[in-house]
Amino acid sequence: MNKTGIIFFPAFDWSLGESHPEREERLLYTQEQIFEEGIMDLPQIKQYSPGVADLMDVLRTQAIFPRLEKLHLDAHLIAAGSSIILGKAIMDKEIHNGFALVRPPGHHSGATVWGNRGFCTLNNEAILVNYLRAHYGIKKVAIIDTDVHHGDGTQDIFYYDPNVLCVSIHQDGRTLFPGTGFTDEKGGPNSWGSTLNIPLIPGVGDEGFLYALENWVLPRVEEFKPDIIINSAGQDNHYTDPLASMNVSARGYGKITEFIKPDLAVLEGGYSIQGALPYVNLAILLALAGEDYSGVIEPQKLQRREIGGETFRSYLLNLKRQNENIRPNWTLKKESCFPAGEWVCIEKNIFYDTDWFQEYRKDYIRKCNHCGGTVLTLSRNELTFEKAVLVRIPFEACEACVQTGYDLVEHFKNTEKTLLLQDQLQNKIMLWHDGREVSFDEQKNQTA
Amino acid sequence: MDNTIGIDVGGTFTDVILIRGEEVIKKGKITTRQEDLLTTILQALDFVEISDTPSIGHITVSTTLVTNAIIQKRLHPVELVLFPGSGMRISALNWPVPCRILSGELDFRGREVQPANKKEWEVLADDLRKGAATSIAISGKFSHRNNVLEENLAAFLKQEIPELKIALGSEWGQSNFYRRSLTAYLNSACTEIFSSFSAQLRKAVRARGCNAPIRVLKADGGVLPLEKIRPVESIYSGPAASVLGALAQNDGCESYVVVDIGGTTTDIGLVLSGNPLMSSSGARVGSFLTNVRSLAVRSIPVGGDSAVFMENGEACLASHRLGPAYCIGGSHATPTDAMRFLNLTDYGSFSKAEEGLALLLPENERNPEAIQQVALTVVRKMADQIGLAIEQLLMEWKAEPAYKVWEVLHHHPDFRFTIRLNGGGAPGIATVLEQRMNTETIVTDSSEVSNAIGAALAKTTFSWTLNLDTSLSRYRIEETGEQGEWEGPKKPHKEVEQFLRDLALRQAQEMGIETKTLQTDPFDYFPLVENYNTVGQIVRGAMHVPPGVIRRVSRGEKDE
Ligand SMILES: [Zn+2]
Ligand SMILES: [Zn+2]
Ligand SMILES: [Zn+2]
Repeated sequence: MNKTGIIFFPAFDWSLGESHPEREERLLYTQEQIFEEGIMDLPQIKQYSPGVADLMDVLRTQAIFPRLEKLHLDAHLIAAGSSIILGKAIMDKEIHNGFALVRPPGHHSGATVWGNRGFCTLNNEAILVNYLRAHYGIKKVAIIDTDVHHGDGTQDIFYYDPNVLCVSIHQDGRTLFPGTGFTDEKGGPNSWGSTLNIPLIPGVGDEGFLYALENWVLPRVEEFKPDIIINSAGQDNHYTDPLASMNVSARGYGKITEFIKPDLAVLEGGYSIQGALPYVNLAILLALAGEDYSGVIEPQKLQRREIGGETFRSYLLNLKRQNENIRPNWTLKKESCFPAGEWVCIEKNIFYDTDWFQEYRKDYIRKCNHCGGTVLTLSRNELTFEKAVLVRIPFEACEACVQTGYDLVEHFKNTEKTLLLQDQLQNKIMLWHDGREVSFDEQKNQTA
Repeated sequence: MDNTIGIDVGGTFTDVILIRGEEVIKKGKITTRQEDLLTTILQALDFVEISDTPSIGHITVSTTLVTNAIIQKRLHPVELVLFPGSGMRISALNWPVPCRILSGELDFRGREVQPANKKEWEVLADDLRKGAATSIAISGKFSHRNNVLEENLAAFLKQEIPELKIALGSEWGQSNFYRRSLTAYLNSACTEIFSSFSAQLRKAVRARGCNAPIRVLKADGGVLPLEKIRPVESIYSGPAASVLGALAQNDGCESYVVVDIGGTTTDIGLVLSGNPLMSSSGARVGSFLTNVRSLAVRSIPVGGDSAVFMENGEACLASHRLGPAYCIGGSHATPTDAMRFLNLTDYGSFSKAEEGLALLLPENERNPEAIQQVALTVVRKMADQIGLAIEQLLMEWKAEPAYKVWEVLHHHPDFRFTIRLNGGGAPGIATVLEQRMNTETIVTDSSEVSNAIGAALAKTTFSWTLNLDTSLSRYRIEETGEQGEWEGPKKPHKEVEQFLRDLALRQAQEMGIETKTLQTDPFDYFPLVENYNTVGQIVRGAMHVPPGVIRRVSRGEKDE
């Protein structure tokens, strides 16, 4: 029998504010529903206990700036840790697939983290993916984000990485937070095409969503041949969601899950906590467990106008054409201190909506024909003007890129307040504050 | 000083004990007659001479009556009727009994989604009048949040068929729907067999001039008066008895694994700082999953009387028994013989043990070395099976779900476990198990009647869990299924705790529980927000008296 693993971690004692969408109540009715149905008594369901992610596992993937102890990470570490537990269970073949039904969410949290944005502080899926790459030698990963919001954090983390295909299908950024995720965002100089964004017009329902999956997403994933597929299973495409304007039903989510066949689904957003979540979560679980979800019916019916049919198909076709015709236009740039090679510079501003400030970032990617290329990120908090630097040597890095990474570290470690090295290739994470290397035990004590 | 009597009916033997204060006065073991448990229990009572024992505080019985009735399918016919609503397909789970589906649906807060269909009710009443069942169990999805569908149908049927016995799923006020339905069904189906047993037992005890209250041990380690227990709550009290037996013979706040080696089964339980670990889901009995609260225990089919057989020249353990051990006059070799032969015990005859083991070997291989080899293999395999089950139970404990940040961060302090062995086979396996588990293994003093001690000294437990939805003005109590109107404010705080306490105290008094010992768990308040306005709260809270023993027996008691 194919086993389905589940971790249900509703974080009943954690919220971003009493009436905030991300509050204690969010998974209360989901718990009532899935427990009452007897899901945990299905012979193919195996419930796992939540776990806590290691700081090392976080820093391998995300740079927490300016210092770890500035952020309250407990709940986030559990959401990430729980995703890792299910990921391990899949790799160890204890289960066939799994669902990390956890709070808080993570897909808006990117490569550099100065605070909470879009309710996210740590990126659960990204931390899990890099954990599996570091510990299980996984080579290629596909992340399919079916949350209604653009999975901008996940995209940011893997944008320069040719071995991670990031697909996000979401309500158009012109009408919804975070305002990104357009079809011309296709990846960095060594990873062009490994990011795929499909922005949808408001009003799309089951039919349109499934059409886009079947005719664009799934063929792209198949072509990529991933070793593992992760689904960022946000549920705010539901027609009762208060923050967005899409028209997907609970059974539609069941079908989406059946189409994607994720190895692991991780809960992201979804804020219709009575009208949608209990039913969507149930449908996703049943679909993963190979059970019939056609009886999952929300009491509240669809009342908004659904966009579908020919209107939608021609919209999508047009979008696909645009996507195919886009050619990259890199800005080559380097500072005098950079090691030899060609460097592409990408500038961006990242808005932290929860705490209302901006981060300004310059990413330098070493152009490389052999690997994803070492990345240097110069980051500045526009509220406090604190600066910090991240050097990332990617998984599968070539020798030249490794050397480049360590040359950059030598240069920056004495000049910068905070420097993080992510040597993903050798699974070595090092952190310097004011030129002094900080050990992780020290960091742990400070956060405790 | 008060005398206390405990009886533990096991698969093979029934243990009985008479305790005065902290002292074991009399203990005995008689053969269980599975087909006549009443006689077995009366024999046990006569063994401790209840007729001649003054001032008996209480008699506590741990009996397999209901468990056996369920497993052997000696159940009274009950019509099971469900309001499953929409959601997961009902056949996704295995229903061991047929059921009838009616329309009508509630949501997770107990609000009506689809009304019931009176036409179906009339058909049901007609069918009941024609059919054989005199009892019905009615169970609805989310009836633990709102029992309206169940109550309405019950009222309708009461009117139509006054003599019909009606049980409701909501009387078992916990999730989930499947277990609640089966629990209500089972309880109904074994009510008759249990009441006739308890009436006869009471009569027989009174006829012996004893007026002591008779209590029944439950799977969660608590006890209830014979008159008050819901029959299905008496299932699997055996493993609970052995955990309590260990508690009664050990110091207060230690952590240990309890291993009780019986004739054909070994029960394993866990005590953490003096508190038995409860299972996070209800007990399973036969093919029924229930809502019956139980201690976290593992039962494995191996014991001192398990039959030993040879497979490919190697000794193996069967999961059944072929009579008593060879060394005490049986006809087949058992682990008891292996232990006797290895001089791990002095129970039974050495030469008979040797003979029994030798018979397993081909005639030309019956030399001392080969027999020794067989005996060692048997004991090692037994220790291995027990060790594996211990490891699984510890894993279950470590894998307990947690739903709050606080719970995850304070999950599992590093307990160091020792092992406490009970049961007839205990002394023989101790050394080998100690080596297998690499931890101190202690044989409990009165190990052979430890379960009866546990039953005799079991404390009355109490558990009272509130779920309150102030926005819908409705409260529910998990344990009794009580539901009612909340008249307090939408955003309560201290009032809820007082409200719960009042309800709990009323119930506790009714059960004769010392209210001073009630423990209150921290309350969970969920602000209920609709359209960015807080419209009420969902409150969860609980009070309880955990399982335990009323007192401990004094150490070093050795009288036979
Ligand atoms: Zn998305
Ligand atoms: Zn979202
Ligand atoms: Zn390279």
